[in-house]
Amino acid sequence: MEGIPTDRPEHPVFYGGRFSEEVSDAGLPGDHTVLSDWDVLPAQLASALEPASILVVLDMLSFPFESLTGDLMDVPLILLPPPGSDADFLATVFGKAAFSRLGFFDRVAVAEDDLWAELQGRYGLARGQRVEVEDGRPEHAAAEIKDALEAESTLYAPFVENDYEANRYWSERGDALAGEAPHRAICSVNHGPKFNKAIHRVQEKALSPQIAVARGTQAEEVPFDVLEIGAGVGRWAASFDPTRTRFTGVDISEGMVETARKNFPQCRFDLLGEDSVLPYGDESFDLSFSVTVMHHNPTPTKRALISEMWRVTRPGGRLMFLEDFVSGGWSTTSTVYPMSVNEFVGLLVDATAGQVVLEHVESIRYGHDDFTRGGLLGVTKLGVARTW
Amino acid sequence: MSENDFYTPTDLDRLRMENELLAFEVRFLKARSGGQPEVAGSPVSLSRMTHLEEAETDLKLLLRRIQNSPLGPVARTNKNFRTLSERYLRQPDRALAMSPAQRTVYLEGAEKDLKLLLRRLGRGPLGVAFKRRKSFRTLQERYL
Repeated sequence: MEGIPTDRPEHPVFYGGRFSEEVSDAGLPGDHTVLSDWDVLPAQLASALEPASILVVLDMLSFPFESLTGDLMDVPLILLPPPGSDADFLATVFGKAAFSRLGFFDRVAVAEDDLWAELQGRYGLARGQRVEVEDGRPEHAAAEIKDALEAESTLYAPFVENDYEANRYWSERGDALAGEAPHRAICSVNHGPKFNKAIHRVQEKALSPQIAVARGTQAEEVPFDVLEIGAGVGRWAASFDPTRTRFTGVDISEGMVETARKNFPQCRFDLLGEDSVLPYGDESFDLSFSVTVMHHNPTPTKRALISEMWRVTRPGGRLMFLEDFVSGGWSTTSTVYPMSVNEFVGLLVDATAGQVVLEHVESIRYGHDDFTRGGLLGVTKLGVARTW
Repeated sequence: MSENDFYTPTDLDRLRMENELLAFEVRFLKARSGGQPEVAGSPVSLSRMTHLEEAETDLKLLLRRIQNSPLGPVARTNKNFRTLSERYLRQPDRALAMSPAQRTVYLEGAEKDLKLLLRRLGRGPLGVAFKRRKSFRTLQERYL
């Protein structure tokens, strides 16, 4: 496989802290930086992390987690817990400052299975967020983590010009990337985890309040049934409380579905057929949503998916679409079928026979763009439930 | 893009879609804040209002173009043209002072006037010349 073109070269930054000399002496291969505890003083942290494609914290006890704010939060983290520490110690010392702030693009490097299981349970971490290391000592773990990062950055999904067919492309790309480099399969295959995490954070900022609004209309004791179309490896499953939510995701890629099942065994993930028919009964969900899925599909597929989402959503339930509504004309080098918001709303009204009420509209601008590209639309399904 | 650079659209499709998205959001927020209860909760009405606003903008642009073209002096001798100019070009802030219901009526009137104007320009001896222009054909396709 060839390497992929990226926005900037992958450049991991290793925070060695008190062990920076040992980590530097370990002779890590390739492009990287090793920082000591003097390099991350509050005034220097931003410039020290500026070139970082990923930040590997090898000495958590001396790292200033409280200084990771604003854009610095876009840098994906890999945390190496201090050797010999147990879950209670980690929760007490780093619970609020570090572990509870981890998102789907952040990971933990752990040697012991028991410790990983404890952390996974406490902080709702996905299986894919574990970096397995054999030795918890910083200088040894650094080499293993560097190897793992190198392996991820050489994977890519081929795009054949003039040959884009949505179902086949996303199925093949998902299967190729699901196991080793899921972040590339999530947002942008041509960019590294930092870019993808930044996109995810922008989307999450728009989506999370609307999910809370949708959840807020239901009684606490009633399980909240959620369906995601194009769930990928399940990144949005992490945004729902598993004790109050029954999360279901569908995807066209078998590899993605398998990885999602491993990531979130408490959730349900199913394969979506090429006919776009959802394998669920009518009125099964309180919320159905898609994130950057519709704009990759031609109009007939969009129509079929919207219609199916409407069918499986309960009356009074929500449908949400976070999509790109701004794009240049269709080109053979793009995987996007441009559709303006007015055209999409027309399609939405058409596919649901007008049985929806518009509840939310929000434009979304990503940090790397100089224009507004995305939008979040939320609608409520009208009607009276057939079953109570 | 550096902070000193101005945003320069290079892709007209992209610019149009971005304008549509932002206008749609503004329309929704106005409706939700109670400014226009008659369109709240109806996606059809929202997109219809956006369409009407676009029609008003297109009508103003068309009138300005005719006015500034060599045909301008001739057009100004026509009473109907003078009425349209008076209504849509001389009082740019009039629409801002209207109530939501009045504004809807005003915008629907603008769409009707635009259709009428396009039909009249498309007929007549100058119709052939107008139809040669791509922008005129685009307007005809969009509104007629």
